[in-house]
Amino acid sequence: MKTIGKEGMPLEVLLIEDNPGDVRLTRETLCSGKRSIHLHVATDGVEAMAFLRHEEAQVRAPRPDLILLDLNLPRMDGHEVLAEIKGDDSLKTIPTIILTTSDAQADIAKSYQLHANCYLTKPVQLDAFNCLVKSTSDFWLSTVTLPPPSQPR
Amino acid sequence: MAQMEGRGLARDALRECEESYRMLLDGIQDHAIFMMDPVGRIVSWNAGAERIKGYRADEIIGRNFSCFFPPEDVGRGRPEEILRMTAASGRHEEQGMRVRKDGSRFLAGFTLMALRDQAGKLRGFFEFSHDLSASKESEAKYRGLLEAAPDAMVVVNQDGEIVLLNAQAERTFGYRRDELVGQQVRNIIPTGFAERLIADGTRTAAEALAQQIGTGIELSGRRKDGSEFPVEIMLSPLESPEGILVTAAIRDISVRKKAETLLLRTVAELKRSNEELAQFAYVASHDLQEPLRMVASYTQLLSNRYKGKLDSAADEFISFAVDGANRMHRSIQDLLAFSRVGTGGEDFGDISSEEALEQAIANLRGAIEESGALVTHDPLPTVLADGGQLVQLFQNLVGNAIKYRNPGVPQIHVSSAKDGGKNDEARWIFSVRDNGLGIEAKYFKKIFGMFQRLHKREEYAGTGIGLAICKKIVERHGGSISVESQLGQGSTFRFGVASSKGES
Repeated sequence: MKTIGKEGMPLEVLLIEDNPGDVRLTRETLCSGKRSIHLHVATDGVEAMAFLRHEEAQVRAPRPDLILLDLNLPRMDGHEVLAEIKGDDSLKTIPTIILTTSDAQADIAKSYQLHANCYLTKPVQLDAFNCLVKSTSDFWLSTVTLPPPSQPR
Repeated sequence: MAQMEGRGLARDALRECEESYRMLLDGIQDHAIFMMDPVGRIVSWNAGAERIKGYRADEIIGRNFSCFFPPEDVGRGRPEEILRMTAASGRHEEQGMRVRKDGSRFLAGFTLMALRDQAGKLRGFFEFSHDLSASKESEAKYRGLLEAAPDAMVVVNQDGEIVLLNAQAERTFGYRRDELVGQQVRNIIPTGFAERLIADGTRTAAEALAQQIGTGIELSGRRKDGSEFPVEIMLSPLESPEGILVTAAIRDISVRKKAETLLLRTVAELKRSNEELAQFAYVASHDLQEPLRMVASYTQLLSNRYKGKLDSAADEFISFAVDGANRMHRSIQDLLAFSRVGTGGEDFGDISSEEALEQAIANLRGAIEESGALVTHDPLPTVLADGGQLVQLFQNLVGNAIKYRNPGVPQIHVSSAKDGGKNDEARWIFSVRDNGLGIEAKYFKKIFGMFQRLHKREEYAGTGIGLAICKKIVERHGGSISVESQLGQGSTFRFGVASSKGES
């Protein structure tokens, strides 16, 4: 069993994002650091839940250490995905970060009500975006002690 | 002989007496007095009867008194019924419609008495009646008045029966006059009218009526053809010997109602389209953010990675693209901020404008320190406002005063003055005065428009949304904003906000 947060061990990050441009930008930034990161991408909510629950083609999917979740998604939107994750005892301990364009008060409030671990608004400026992704990954993947992979109920 | 003589004298006396009675009866002009036999045939007729009913004695004697009744009453045996009731009780009084010789109808009050001989055998009846609209002169005046009225006028008694109406009423309801007189007012005003005239446990008829006097009551009228239309009714009492009659002025308000409905619909439509527009602006600017972010991010990525690696033209193109994306980003942000004034506001409450200004000054700390600006204010009142928007308003105005400054120390002063004495219309007029660049009079209106700028981009940054937002905030508070200025002499922006509820 791997030890989370130890240098050298790759960290599993699930990015739930339908915009390939954003996926690329996030990948550019996340994977430019020293840490070895496996970035998995789901392009809608249904796909994300299949990944998290090891359904069908995703039976071998690893349990992510961190989830980056966009709100505006096809089929099953970010709030629905968040509700599913936080309503599932085996998934709810995974830190789930909202990463979205929306800065609407309603979206922010709803996300925290559904127990999002934090809410980030994507900045328009590239530098600011890079900075945000970097500081977020530094904090969640290095600074904090993450929960063990599975918790006894 | 003496006896004979005595009898003769007695007969003479009796005749004299009868003669005096006849003269007396004939002298009574305003009452119809006549006698009938037991089946209602007329046996005597006075001058008052001739005047009121229109028949001469020789025309009427021998005919049955049922000819004074409207056909519908005759049809249901009313004359006979009245005779039966009189015979049974000895005396009968009532009011009802009667028909003159010429066919016209009038409301009569009448008393019948049964005449019996000493043995108690019914010998006939005596009727004593008068025209209730008897005062012909004043009635004529009243009728004239009714006819001159522009509205349908209907006079109703306390039983809810129509006593009188004007030609306009005939036209309005589509009936002939004689089809309505004597009928229930319910036939033309199905509900809400007759009920208002009726006494109940807690009030007398007079009180019931008094409550309705002078106020317009909106009800539904029904024409002869059954069609209904909205009416407004004004009631006024009319004293008469038979009790209080009610004069109702009935106005067809179909046109007004239609206009009102149209107005309401237009207002609702406007409100809806306004909301839709506000929503549209918000959604559009929000949805533009996403693709914009892609353009901005990737042109920047291009710039970061390839600047100096391509030729100089490519560098220039990339920098234009980056600059364009940045400006578009600011415009969209401003558009969002503008649309939020209408859609994202808080409820109004009592807000200390002094605290709002101080918050705005705190938010501008960077600019104030950098420019060395001196921002001062008088004691400021509590107002009825959206606190967040009031802060934004002060922030934009003070921020502008700092931004468009002359060389030297920018001095900005905020003051307020009460306007309007009446309690609920009292407002505070705020002034934000600066010693800055000033504005030419021809731009006074233009500066409050969206994305309007008076300076080149290189001189002053910004999209030109600030004052448009100020204007929208002030208008949402039911006020207006204006500027007074001379180029080079500084500017004073003024806006009004309602006083707080607690103040008077």
